[in-house]
Amino acid sequence: MDSRDSSSPSAPNRDGTAGEDEGVLSVTSALAKDAALSFQCRKFGECVNILAQLKPKKEDDPKVLHNVAITEFLRDGCSDPKRLLVALNNVKKRYEELARACASGEQAESGSNVGNKVTSDSTESSSTTHLFSASNSASTMYTDEFDTSVVSLNIAVIWFHLHEYAKALSVLEPLYQNIEPIDETTALHICLLLLDVVLASCDASKSADVLNYLEKAFGPGTVSQGDNGNILVQQSTNLIGKLSSVPSSSLVSDASASDLAANGSASENPLSRSLSEDPLDEIISSLDIGRQNLSRSAGLTSANDLPRTTVDRFISGVDLKLKLQLYKVRFLLLTRNVKIAKREVKHAMNIARGRDSSMALLLKAQLEYARGNHKKAIKLLMASSNRTDAAMSSMLYNNLGCIHYQLGKYHMSAVFFSKALSNCSTLLKEKPLNLLTFSQDKSLQITYNCGLQYLACGKPTIAARCFQKASFIFYKRPLLWLRLAECCLMAVEKGLVKGSQIPNRLELRVNVIGKGRWRKLLIEDVISRNGLVDSVGKDDWGLGGGGQPMLSLPLARQCLYNALHLLNCSDSSHLDSVLPSNSSLEENESNGGASSKNSNHKNLPGIDSKASTLSVGLVNMNGDLKESKGGTNQEIIQNSISYYEDICRRENQMIKQALLANLAYVELELENPLKALSAARSLLELPGCSRIFIFLGHVYAAEALCLLNKPKEAAEYLSIYLSGGNNVELPFGQEDCEQWRTKKPVDCEESNTGAAAAKNPSPEDLQEFMFLRPEEARGTLYANLAVLYAIQGELDRAHQLATQALSLVPNSSEATMTAIYIDLVLGNMQEALSKLKHCSHVRFLSASLPTNKSS
Amino acid sequence: MGKKMLNLEEQCKILNLLKSSSEQKSIEETVTDFFTNSKLRHFNVCYSLSLLLQDKMMLSSTERLVAFAILHRSYSSQKSAANPFISFLVNAACDDGAEKYERAFILQLLSSSNSNSSKEFLKQSASDYIKNFDPSSQNFPQREQLQKQYYEKVHPEPYSCLLQNTAVKNLLADPDVPCGCDANSAELDSQPGAKSKLGSGDRDEALSGLIANLSLEGLIPHWIRPVPPRFPVDEELVWLNPDNSHELQWDQGMCADTSRGAAVRDLIAKALKGALAPNQQEQVLVELANDPKLVYHCGLTPRKLPELVENNPLIAVEVLTKLINSPEIAEYFTVLVNMDMSLHSMEVVNRLTTAVELPKEFVRMYITNCISSCENIKDKYMQNRLVRLVCVFLQSLIRNRIIDVKDLFIEVQAFCIEFSRIREAAGLFRLLKTLE
Repeated sequence: MDSRDSSSPSAPNRDGTAGEDEGVLSVTSALAKDAALSFQCRKFGECVNILAQLKPKKEDDPKVLHNVAITEFLRDGCSDPKRLLVALNNVKKRYEELARACASGEQAESGSNVGNKVTSDSTESSSTTHLFSASNSASTMYTDEFDTSVVSLNIAVIWFHLHEYAKALSVLEPLYQNIEPIDETTALHICLLLLDVVLASCDASKSADVLNYLEKAFGPGTVSQGDNGNILVQQSTNLIGKLSSVPSSSLVSDASASDLAANGSASENPLSRSLSEDPLDEIISSLDIGRQNLSRSAGLTSANDLPRTTVDRFISGVDLKLKLQLYKVRFLLLTRNVKIAKREVKHAMNIARGRDSSMALLLKAQLEYARGNHKKAIKLLMASSNRTDAAMSSMLYNNLGCIHYQLGKYHMSAVFFSKALSNCSTLLKEKPLNLLTFSQDKSLQITYNCGLQYLACGKPTIAARCFQKASFIFYKRPLLWLRLAECCLMAVEKGLVKGSQIPNRLELRVNVIGKGRWRKLLIEDVISRNGLVDSVGKDDWGLGGGGQPMLSLPLARQCLYNALHLLNCSDSSHLDSVLPSNSSLEENESNGGASSKNSNHKNLPGIDSKASTLSVGLVNMNGDLKESKGGTNQEIIQNSISYYEDICRRENQMIKQALLANLAYVELELENPLKALSAARSLLELPGCSRIFIFLGHVYAAEALCLLNKPKEAAEYLSIYLSGGNNVELPFGQEDCEQWRTKKPVDCEESNTGAAAAKNPSPEDLQEFMFLRPEEARGTLYANLAVLYAIQGELDRAHQLATQALSLVPNSSEATMTAIYIDLVLGNMQEALSKLKHCSHVRFLSASLPTNKSS
Repeated sequence: MGKKMLNLEEQCKILNLLKSSSEQKSIEETVTDFFTNSKLRHFNVCYSLSLLLQDKMMLSSTERLVAFAILHRSYSSQKSAANPFISFLVNAACDDGAEKYERAFILQLLSSSNSNSSKEFLKQSASDYIKNFDPSSQNFPQREQLQKQYYEKVHPEPYSCLLQNTAVKNLLADPDVPCGCDANSAELDSQPGAKSKLGSGDRDEALSGLIANLSLEGLIPHWIRPVPPRFPVDEELVWLNPDNSHELQWDQGMCADTSRGAAVRDLIAKALKGALAPNQQEQVLVELANDPKLVYHCGLTPRKLPELVENNPLIAVEVLTKLINSPEIAEYFTVLVNMDMSLHSMEVVNRLTTAVELPKEFVRMYITNCISSCENIKDKYMQNRLVRLVCVFLQSLIRNRIIDVKDLFIEVQAFCIEFSRIREAAGLFRLLKTLE
């Protein structure tokens, strides 16, 4: 292992490879060593030169090609990652060719490699001895020789830095599935990268799986024990015990091994004792063969957890421990398990003491942000970072923008977001580039935040432009499309849509014609919705097009359909993964998601082989202390996942409600009552639908039916709110509004989060929730019922309802119009006139006489 | 803002028409003049006129007659039932509040479409018609009779929205007159040159204003269509954290020695055939311990496991312990459970139980296999040996709490009773009793 990693050519006994010239081998080995050294010292120019000498000696060796590719890339300032991707993929292809060629030539040679072994009489000191046999086994080693894990890892690294998480995942997943044979360093890199990828893709269960594996395979056993604070003492005794019992182990953090060692040596004794009492010599002797070896239990026990000696060379034990702890916090923050995250972040701060704690501080800031402690979050952000670094300050400003948005200070947040963006753009101008620069460019994420902020400020056009830009990374998110649809609706509402004939739909226009006894009032029907359908271009907005989106109702409809489609896709896999994954994984996901729905204890079934081998170990972990510790950790993670899946499911439900309501609305606006009706009906069929959306569903469905000339059926939809005669109930309460706004349903109060409690809606928060108040909704129902009765000729009833409506929504021009209409039909001219004159939204225009002016 | 019903030309036409009604031209002539321009939209024109006619004050008596004539004449080439204004005309003819001459005029219009009936009455001017009208000469039929006569059969309603169908006229009279004044008083008409009085107004101005602004759409009841609320922003804002710096990795395997583990592989191959010498065994164990990944390269497969177990149980334990995280470990366990029961396999399992966490199911299956092997063995001597072995094995498992006795109590107890003649079985039985 060591030998491979250092590629040390110093071993004298390694030169016997048959079929290869001795001299060439030693020269190439020396060159390779020099190249590796200069690479490590980041002297890439020098390294490229050495590799150039090596290249002719190892024609077409994919490993050489690989190293050349990455070194040249780094030498050239990381300017063209796509080209490197092409080069690396070619290397991978080359590997495959070689492996195929080799596999075919293999059969003939098999069996020839027995013999001439080197017996290095190994003692305890032999751990550093390299056992290079001189056997001519090159052909049988092809799995090692053609190991593509490093090149695959590098491909994934590039995708990761380019924010292409789905692509990175598709490369990493197969590596992870078969991670055991991959050497330590590479395996650790793979796991860490994979963890970052799945966290970035908000895939909680996969994150948990990788995190589990990392802790098990690389992590100090102590990481998990932090979960129960009181184990710390016991843990340290474990450590001491282990240190004495396993002298050969280089690591302090070998706790799990020590557990096993203790377990093993303790348990060995009874058997041997009982056997030694046994008269049957043969049994004693046979069962006792390995006894002398027991003294070397270090070898046996450390087998269970993979040794970290090699890993430690690139990352120290404590650093790794901190790293894993930080990942754990990120996982908990992702799953919004705020309470546990708080504890774990404290733990991380402890580990980070005396080291770089900036990351821990940032996560703590995020935690406080998630808990709604915005002041504290700001304080932590300011303490955590140096603002000289453009990348850091860009993130800092972005996060400050988020906080101020949540505080309702939209203009402050706008300032911060634009600062964040400008820092991003300076970042890309910095020379020389390095690979990290690409991933540090978060301008698209920040742009998305900007979009939200502009939407909140009522600027739909520019908001839509932001969302359009952000769609390059977020196009798989249903929410993005919902937001775009909202931009369209807001633009229409504000009369920003080209060709829209309604400058302000709340206005009633009355033409005053003539004077004196001849004065006539002509009520203009400005609320009538026409001219919208054909006023807008059809498919003149495409993704990737440079032009800005043409906001329109048809575009809104298209966006809503996109979102619904995405949502249904993610529904079927039950996980709110932002990324698409390859088919086999999706299968696993759906299994896992479905069956883990009602299980808190069970390990994620079928996530993949890692989880299942893990569960093998976990199933019988019931009895003793050590096991319960592991179980607790497991439980926390499992609870977090199911809690998070719950959140996601609920959030998807909410999005679906919003989508269908918007769709019904848009279809009504586009004068498609049939489609509107079906959207409204689907909305009403959703399980767990908010009362607000039930109200909307009924109102939209009733209107659609009304437009379809089915007033009776329409009345059925509205009359569920009627109680006794003409009395309309409140369709929803204030608590429904608050619940919707905070997305926290009442029935999950017992779940392990303090977030719900921390997020009491402040008055300014509520401003953002621009919707009818419950009383206004009631007025709406009165008004619409009045319409229904009016067109069915029940004028007296309509009159009563309209009067009620006007008392609740006196400012509604629709209700006023309906009331005037009813008065007119009833012949109450004077009442109609007085209503018209008392309406606050009416505008009297003196009649123009175009005949005289222009003819 | 709304759709205007009339274009400029039509507006002028109508105004001229109305003006000319007071002249001494025959009605026939006036109407014919009106229709000389074919570009007129008949329906729009007629609808405007009908709206004006509904207001009894707006048009003078002569203007009204001409307007009615137009309404009728526009559609006179078709059957009367096809006239969209037929019900309006019939209603006007039956309106008891209207002037008799007007009603008579309409009745004459209606009957004039019957082929050869007289159109003489149209040859005079409107004012002459009124002047010469003799109320006694005309009888007024009932509404039902007229409806029967002119509606013929009911037309199916053309599709249109209920809301639209129920529209009412969106025109309200709002006389702006001082309190107590009669809005209908002609005094309030502004006189040319005279100083305008409060409440006075010019009819012509109002008329042209109306004609200019009339719209096709009437007033309809309005549905309130609430705009759906915006989706709340909660966790949606993207919070940014610095990424971990994943760097490109150098491939250390370049030009490196590729013969890793060859010695071990050779030794494992030997170990499948027979017991290794102690120093060879030692070498395998040390090398496996030094390189945890070596176990994946040592050439062992699940199929070969039984040979290794039989020949070198200790190495088998070591290898299996290292493979515990391998995806293939389940296969190895399956092979182990299914191989013939032997001292060595039992030893391997025993050691494994203390070294790693074995799946409960595996241990239970293995024990069941042990017990049934004991029962099935024919050779008494071999059976004795095996039973003693199993007993020691089980005692070890129980003492080390590897298995929960409760899970296997009945099975193990039956086993003890069956072989109670053997000392170790009796011992195991006693152990079971103490645990009860």
